[in-house]
Amino acid sequence: MTRAYRSPSFWAALLIVAALFAAPAEAEHRIGTLDTVGSDTMAGLMLRWGERLARRHPGMRVQLQASGSASAPTALTAGTTLVGPMSRPMTEAEHQAFVARYGYPPREVVVARDALVVVVHRHNPLSSLSRQQLDAVFSETYRCGAEGGLRRWAALGLEVPSGRIVLHGRNAVSGTHDLFRREALCGGRFRPSVNEHPGSAAVVAAVAADPQAIGYAGLNHLMPSVRPIPLRDAEGVQRAPEPSAVRRGDYPLARDLRLYVNLPPGESLPAAEQAFIELVLSAEGQAIVEELGFVSLPGAVLSRQRRRLGLEAE
Amino acid sequence: MRQRLRQGRDRLATALITAGGIGVIAAVMGIAVFLVVEVVPLFWPAEPTGIRLEALWLPQDVAGLDAPAYRWQPSLADDSGPLFSLPPLVWGTLEAAAWSLVIAVPLALGAAAHSALFMSRRLRARLRPTLELMEALPGVVIGFVAGLALAPWLERHLGLALALLLLLPTGLLLAGGLWRQLPARLQRRLPLGWAALWLMPWLVLTWGLAHWLGPRLETLWFGGDLRAWLEVTLGLDYANRNAVIVGMAMGFAVVPSIYALAEDALSGVPRSLAEGAQALGATRWQTLWRVMLPAASPGVLSAVMIGAGRAVGETMIVLMASGNTALMTANPLDGLRSMAASIAIELPEAAPGGTHYRLLLLAALLLFAFTFLVNTLAEVVRTRLHRRYRRLGGPS
Repeated sequence: MTRAYRSPSFWAALLIVAALFAAPAEAEHRIGTLDTVGSDTMAGLMLRWGERLARRHPGMRVQLQASGSASAPTALTAGTTLVGPMSRPMTEAEHQAFVARYGYPPREVVVARDALVVVVHRHNPLSSLSRQQLDAVFSETYRCGAEGGLRRWAALGLEVPSGRIVLHGRNAVSGTHDLFRREALCGGRFRPSVNEHPGSAAVVAAVAADPQAIGYAGLNHLMPSVRPIPLRDAEGVQRAPEPSAVRRGDYPLARDLRLYVNLPPGESLPAAEQAFIELVLSAEGQAIVEELGFVSLPGAVLSRQRRRLGLEAE
Repeated sequence: MRQRLRQGRDRLATALITAGGIGVIAAVMGIAVFLVVEVVPLFWPAEPTGIRLEALWLPQDVAGLDAPAYRWQPSLADDSGPLFSLPPLVWGTLEAAAWSLVIAVPLALGAAAHSALFMSRRLRARLRPTLELMEALPGVVIGFVAGLALAPWLERHLGLALALLLLLPTGLLLAGGLWRQLPARLQRRLPLGWAALWLMPWLVLTWGLAHWLGPRLETLWFGGDLRAWLEVTLGLDYANRNAVIVGMAMGFAVVPSIYALAEDALSGVPRSLAEGAQALGATRWQTLWRVMLPAASPGVLSAVMIGAGRAVGETMIVLMASGNTALMTANPLDGLRSMAASIAIELPEAAPGGTHYRLLLLAALLLFAFTFLVNTLAEVVRTRLHRRYRRLGGPS
């Protein structure tokens, strides 16, 4: 199955079939439909932006095949899409594959900021965690400099909850898992006893149900039933995952959400893509970012990116 | 004319059915061939992959650990490289299946024996559709309820669960004993065929008693916190989503299929055998234990095997109720990760043609081979059984 989805010939065949069936309709809708392939973290964002775009420009539609960030570079390089949302930067290999095919690098547009939060049960009194502690709780490699593992709440200086620290996280192939491993475990390895959930919401639900639990999830999945834990940076300053701290880049476990665009240098964007990115980088688009629980970008970053893409300033 | 039309229609139907049958066989063969073709390069690679095959089955030296260990961590992309150890996944699969059978087999076989031999016909006619409804419940729903409702509930009520474990069997035995002691007039009012119904209030009573007793037991024996006691005294970690939860959820899913097949086998035993035994003075219990069960044993065995096959292949329940921790412990209160769940989680993100992808397909091939073998064996056993019944003068 998956193999078929990834292979260019499958897409080519699908396109031909689609073209055969949709040939008459195609002519009317080609300008209006924007097909994107990529991150499932950004699926909600893309959907809401698409709805807003349709309201601004009746007849325009945005379609997202949300099968994970890894699918975006493949589709961009294969030429099946011009816009690929990704929740992580492209890897060197993905970047090179694109350049090898087109001769120019893909354009990167940062559209929102996201953060990973470390959450505990709402009655857990834990005040903050240092990097070393976080690593010692979740990993078995202690690459961030801890001396040994922390397996019990008592080792963190707490009397309540007593007992073992129960770990929850995302499944091994998600971008969230990968980001947490690189940033919070210093590239080390998770303990095998981390419960792996298929989504961030499931992690939050599991932590909410168990006073002994700790887990990590995307910022937008935060709920009142769990408490986010501030992280201490190298100077010992507590950094809570507040939107302002994430926007400034002070909070350690933050990431940018990006659109990768296939745009030859010197050319301007096609109409549908241009309208979409204009919306995303506008105040209206950034309001949607906030609504969905992500963090919007500072105005300076927005206008710099607009200038670079040759869009008119608002 | 009409005759020829009918013949033509018959021939068409036969052709269609044959084509359908051949199509299904071809599809099954096709799946097997696809899996084998995808897995073969793992063993005879065109270019060196850097994966040692014995490392798949033996403990590996892992950076940061003192002793070699089994680790399934497929997504490490940097210096240390991914770790592929299949034993934790195989172990998780078998452990989940074993616990679900431990829970499902006594329930399903007990229900089957009771409904085939003792239950009143009217009640039995109600029971079957109910159990079929149970079978129709999608695995996602069962897994969802088990993971998000049962697991947290059980964790908060460990004392109650322990009390139930103690009280339910003793309580039911006591109920049976009391019924024997009832005066004959009352016994006639409460016929054996309706036992299932008048056990209901008894169950509610047991539940209430367990509710009262559970916390007290926990305080009295375990210092007020069973989970801490398990951990400190027995050294057993209690994971919120553990093998027992998976066993309960998957047991629930497996009960109907075991029940249906076992009930068929038991009620298919020729009446003459049971009647003969009872005429010779055997009690109902003796008839069941010495005559019916031995006669139907191949059918019962194949029912259990079908259940095992279903439990091994079940995906969504394990995925949602197990925590997916690739551990290899015998502790039933710890999490596990099954092959089917790993395939469901990881295959969409595994690069096609890569080692990870081929290993997942190897797991799929193992699952396929196992369920295929078990189901075929069960079918063979069942055919034998029907032949035996025919020899004994039964209806079929």
